[in-house]
Amino acid sequence: MQWAIVVAAFLASAVEFVEAFTLVLVARITTNWRSAIVGALAAVATLGVIVGTLGVALVTLIPLDVLRFVIGFLLLLFGLKWLKNAIARYNGLKLLHDEEAIYRARVAEARARGEPVKSGLAPFGVLLSYKGVLLEGLEVAFIVISFGGSGVGGTGTAALGGAVAGLLVLGIGVLVQAPLHRIPENTLKFVVGIMLTTFGTFWAGESFGITWPLSDLFLLILAALYLVASGLLISAIKQRQPRMVEASTTLRAAPLSQDKGVRP
Amino acid sequence: MNIILKAMLAIYNFFVGDLVILIGVSLIMIILALIHFLSTSISLRGASGVILIIGVLATLVATLGREIMRSENRQQA
Repeated sequence: MQWAIVVAAFLASAVEFVEAFTLVLVARITTNWRSAIVGALAAVATLGVIVGTLGVALVTLIPLDVLRFVIGFLLLLFGLKWLKNAIARYNGLKLLHDEEAIYRARVAEARARGEPVKSGLAPFGVLLSYKGVLLEGLEVAFIVISFGGSGVGGTGTAALGGAVAGLLVLGIGVLVQAPLHRIPENTLKFVVGIMLTTFGTFWAGESFGITWPLSDLFLLILAALYLVASGLLISAIKQRQPRMVEASTTLRAAPLSQDKGVRP
Repeated sequence: MNIILKAMLAIYNFFVGDLVILIGVSLIMIILALIHFLSTSISLRGASGVILIIGVLATLVATLGREIMRSENRQQA
């Protein structure tokens, strides 16, 4: 066995699996397991069809840059929307709402009416999971085929490295997901917004031929940059907020003080 | 309302739901495409990454700015 190919495919695939699993986890936390798994399985099925029909020709036939552009563009739209809403909620520009509490209330209402409880699919969760797994899965397929092509009978050997990486990431991910539930909802949404914007920027940039410094490691730098910028925006809006509240109370107080029947 | 219009509105709300973000991100992509495909903008290619990141942050600031203005208008009303 060519261990160099196994190790190289393992390391390269592990990075892609971590990225894919992160997005599946995001879909699971923000919607539900069912949506995340349905999206991931649909992507695996799509990948199966693509790899099964195209095989090694995959590397030459599918323009990865087009896929990166479409997914990067959509993730930027999703990510910025989530980030904006989370920042707005931190500053009271939008109301905080606990989706799990709303869901539990709806389930209780349905049970009280004697209706069966539906645990439906959330389109956002399905799509997010599907996109993440499809793009990263394709990249893993590219890695396996590329590394496999460099040695005798290499595709099988490289596939072994990729498969081990996938199982390892999946195992660690399952252990990690439970503690995430203790984080407040808006904080989770804020982090998700940062992550989606980070991935969106990264992939959209790559589709235009941008070579990020440090390769995939640049994702961490990008996330840190967006985190700092969002933190600054939150504090800037908070500083502006008291003035806004002050102005509004002055406006309301003026007609009230003229009224003789002023309420306490 | 026309069913096609309803479907389009549902798709828009699902993917974006915010016109500032849609316009901002689309503009960034157009600028990057121009830098990438036009031979006259070779000198800007090295700065594409920075342009993309600044564009994303500017879009975020713009959409939050609109949210603040809305909130101020609501409070004054």
